[in-house]
Amino acid sequence: MSLKRTTVKREADFQIITGWIESHNRVLDLGCGRGILLEHLKNDKDVYGVGVDVNLDKVKSCVKRGVPVYQGDAESILNEFDDAYFDWVILSRTLQELIRPGRVIREALRVGRNLAVSFVNHGFWRNRASVLLTGSRIRNEVFPQSWDESPPINQVTVHDFEAFCDARGIHRAASIYLGGDWRTPCRRFPNIRAGYALYHLTSPNGPVLE
Amino acid sequence: MNDAEVQILTEREPGEVGLVRWEDFHSRTPFTFDCGESIPEFTLRYETYGRLNRTRDNAILICHALSGDHHCAGVHSLNDRKPGWWNNFIGPGKAVDTNRYFVICSNCIGGCQGSTGPSSTDPRSGEPYNLRFPMLTIRDMVRTQHRLVRDHLDLPRLFAVIGGSMGGMQVLQWAIEYPEYVHKIIPLATTGRQNAQSIAFDEVGRFAIMRDSEWKNGDYDPGAGPNVGLAVARMMAHITYLSDQGLEEKFGRSRKAGPGRTFFEPEFNVESYLRHQGASFINRFDANTYLYFTKALNRFDLYAPDGSLEDSMRQIRAGALVVGFTSDWLFPPAQNRDLVHALLRCGKTASYAELGMTLGHDSFLVHAPDLYRLISTFLAS
Repeated sequence: MSLKRTTVKREADFQIITGWIESHNRVLDLGCGRGILLEHLKNDKDVYGVGVDVNLDKVKSCVKRGVPVYQGDAESILNEFDDAYFDWVILSRTLQELIRPGRVIREALRVGRNLAVSFVNHGFWRNRASVLLTGSRIRNEVFPQSWDESPPINQVTVHDFEAFCDARGIHRAASIYLGGDWRTPCRRFPNIRAGYALYHLTSPNGPVLE
Repeated sequence: MNDAEVQILTEREPGEVGLVRWEDFHSRTPFTFDCGESIPEFTLRYETYGRLNRTRDNAILICHALSGDHHCAGVHSLNDRKPGWWNNFIGPGKAVDTNRYFVICSNCIGGCQGSTGPSSTDPRSGEPYNLRFPMLTIRDMVRTQHRLVRDHLDLPRLFAVIGGSMGGMQVLQWAIEYPEYVHKIIPLATTGRQNAQSIAFDEVGRFAIMRDSEWKNGDYDPGAGPNVGLAVARMMAHITYLSDQGLEEKFGRSRKAGPGRTFFEPEFNVESYLRHQGASFINRFDANTYLYFTKALNRFDLYAPDGSLEDSMRQIRAGALVVGFTSDWLFPPAQNRDLVHALLRCGKTASYAELGMTLGHDSFLVHAPDLYRLISTFLAS
């Protein structure tokens, strides 16, 4: 692999999410990290973007980039906004670290007209095989920390996530699955074949059920 | 609120603004306060550091807190024991880099450090204003400083306005009052309005001053005055600028050496520290100014009657970086966050950082590399 996985991941999110978002949209990026996606969206689409992150070092990076950022947690900031205030809310590889992911998705679909979600698919066969063969928790370049140093990680799968959306009437306007290289599109049997999944979600029938 | 870490300057080092001097701006045009009363003229004492660029657009105004003044960096003499109150932030290569920016700090109207205030002489009567000085607001402080920077220093705009606590209120008021004039704002440890607890603390301070028999309805002689009341006000207020953890780390239960002569003499170091704070305050601060300033703080209110901040924040054009401090119980983080929530709801460019420092409200004054970094990169971005 010529590029680091993190770089590839960034590119997948960059291209796909940037393709979804329109010029001058209002965008809220929950778990914005160092603000690289928002900086890109600002330059490329001239969006009004705000990032949210709990980590001060990441907040400092955003400020340095000139990306507006709010230091705090996703759940509490969402409470501050009216319905459909943002055109887009982004949860790019944030889902697995949230304390109450279901509640955040519900609130994100209230505050945003559209929600972009992307995550590492723990149902991917390599991840399953790794656990099965080693008997240990997954540890690779994406999840480099050992269990005792890592924050709690919610091991979400394509199957779980889609079942959640379907049960609550959340519309999947687009579902994009990428193979283990996080680049090659993968259409069939995504729960076992996709290493990475991205969704464009909307809530056409009003508030998402609890 | 202006007790930066004690920094003893023994020599002029690189990275310091070094020797500085103040200037006085005399405005000969009458000024009408928010309350409707006027004074025929006024003086603001200020200092500047760094150089104004050719396009005159690199100026940063620093707004001081309740007990601060215009002297925020450098020293007036090489014998000075302490530099200006924000010397750790301002200087060549520092967070507010005087190699890049022209920095201005002015003593507020109503003050007692060279600017016109209650202890100044009313030219109409030849007597000190004392309580005849008009009721004062944060907006009055800002409007008089606007005369200084726009009319006197002839600055077409301010690149940034920065301040903490009462200074943070002024920063917000600047951005609301002169939206086109201010490019960036950094309000620190501040609020859109004080809560009941903060007003309560100030009332205890005012009560101590006004019940001191030497106060004489504000008509005390120069050099005299309600020294006990002012010292008590300062001692109590100083506790609110710190935090339980900050006091514990600094003093704990440590005691002075040797037995006290009587049971009620200062015994714990924290007691002597507060007495020292009170005693040194009466030498440099005027009791009437203390009354006027705390009242201006208490009355400052950017919220609409329905409890929303949006009407005020909507007028702001400047990009904002708001910083709250977790241990600040005087202007708690939630009040700082509220400002950012409202700015974001109005579609403004605003950032919020919350620093986990232990020194309470005064955290914005002390050595804080995270804050240095936030300020310098926000200004440069």
